[in-house]
Amino acid sequence: MENLLWRNSKWASKLVVMVIVCLALCWVAIPFLWAIVNSIKSHTDVFKSGAIIPFLQFTPTLDSWKEVLGDPQSLNCLFSSTLVGVGTTVLVLLIGTPAAYSLARFEFKRMKSKDITLWFLSQRVMPPVVVLSPFYILLAEVGLIDTWTGLILLYSTFNLAFCVVIMRDIFRDVSKEVEEAARMEGASLWQIFWMIALPLSLDGLIVTAFIVFAFCWNEALFASAVTSQHAATMPTLILASRSTRGVDFNSAGVNTILAIAPPVILSFFVQRYLARGLSFGAVKG
Amino acid sequence: MEVNELVQSKAERGFKYALLAPAVIWIVALTFFPILAAIRFSFANYALGEGITAWVGFDNYARLLTDGSFWYALFITLIFVLVTVPIEVCVGFVLAWMITIGVPGNKYFRPILTAPLFTMEVAIGYLGVTLFTDQGGLYSTILGALGIHIDWLSTASGGLTAAMILDIWIWTPFVFLMSLATLSAIPNEIFDAAMLEASSHWQVFRHVAIPLAWPVLTIAILLRVLEGFKAFGLPYALTSGGPGTSTQLFSVMADLTTIQFTDFGRGSAMGILYLIMVSIVITFFFKQMRKRIN
Repeated sequence: MENLLWRNSKWASKLVVMVIVCLALCWVAIPFLWAIVNSIKSHTDVFKSGAIIPFLQFTPTLDSWKEVLGDPQSLNCLFSSTLVGVGTTVLVLLIGTPAAYSLARFEFKRMKSKDITLWFLSQRVMPPVVVLSPFYILLAEVGLIDTWTGLILLYSTFNLAFCVVIMRDIFRDVSKEVEEAARMEGASLWQIFWMIALPLSLDGLIVTAFIVFAFCWNEALFASAVTSQHAATMPTLILASRSTRGVDFNSAGVNTILAIAPPVILSFFVQRYLARGLSFGAVKG
Repeated sequence: MEVNELVQSKAERGFKYALLAPAVIWIVALTFFPILAAIRFSFANYALGEGITAWVGFDNYARLLTDGSFWYALFITLIFVLVTVPIEVCVGFVLAWMITIGVPGNKYFRPILTAPLFTMEVAIGYLGVTLFTDQGGLYSTILGALGIHIDWLSTASGGLTAAMILDIWIWTPFVFLMSLATLSAIPNEIFDAAMLEASSHWQVFRHVAIPLAWPVLTIAILLRVLEGFKAFGLPYALTSGGPGTSTQLFSVMADLTTIQFTDFGRGSAMGILYLIMVSIVITFFFKQMRKRIN
């Protein structure tokens, strides 16, 4: 990986670059480490300044973890978050992927497939507060406030457009020749989509699924607006404990780790196509 | 043969519309109509359970446009975007450049440096309270040891600055990831050749790397601006909009108006006005995306 540019640099500039990269790594790591350290401190240790390194400066304890995980409300929220995230992801892929394939392969009479794609995109970049009132009223009128169904409905709406745009971009990479060849062999249009295009785009599909899941998992505006008890997800729980407990180092530590771990850990496994997915296909990487 | 093709094209037509229709219907039903509904509600007073109680014309708009707190929320949101986005773009791009040119160990750094991108904003805001509080917060303790005392969470400027710092922590990796993907797609030979011609590293960066990455960087900047205008979870969890209402970014204010105070008419009007303002950025974004999508 070492290239000419690096080899030809002066040692002083190499040193500067290495120091900057190290600072960036620390800057990124500190909040994560701080959350972990606070989650294993006792209630008294959190107020001792200078108690930072476990075992050396304080005795780690799992009390806060037991407290949070022993509370049925946190378990409910974790479950709701998972269910809503997975449910939305499945629904979005089921509806969005076929539409994306259709836009990637075919042209339409009235509108170019590119324009339809941009129409989908426009829906995604709009600020969500615009539809806060109508969505709340809609859910209230059909009795879906504080239900999983209601949240899945909302999140699918926000993510459908994303799925269509990005999967279209990925389907366009599947070579037309392969599909033509299958057609010569007598494969139906559906078979070509299901048995050729889809398996060949699996990497892209996984990244799309991940990004949709992460969005649902992290979404706070609508979660806190339309859920309170039964279908409350992690963001709602955290906002609630923020206002009832105030500054609580232990609970902030444990809840932060529980809330951020799933998407962050999953992200380590889906590095390919990530830039492409997050930029709606503008970056080919 | 001709009949065959005709049958095939007919089958094809049915197929492509059948695949596309559910998504289009979904979006029309759940985006297009809600926006129309928001426009309608913005001219009315709406009470839960009772429906529209009165038509008030442009009252909701007039009250907003003459309300200082509305303009204040817009103003601090604009400041928020204007401070965070340039920092995120510069730092993200420079780091991507350093990783691209081959710092030892670079392939391990990428997943670590992108990790904050997928963290929950609300959780980071809550954690941020324990970083910035003057009762033993990590950053305030470190700064205190250096003799710097800042009232992070009890003043408007402190709260906004803390929110911006955490926003930069979460979103710099976005620009970093985009830049890295772009820079690593450029063949190494181009940089090598440029290095032989140029007199300094800086010149390669300035006259080769930036121009080659610029189209993608534009998209990254516009996406960051659009997302910045949506900022909600992080500032809300960090400061709850306080002290008072001094750190209520626009989305926080709209959320409180609509959900806490159930003033749906005013909330809708806020949303519509915001959409009109943000659409300036959206238009730029579309011009760029049109070039990139084939």
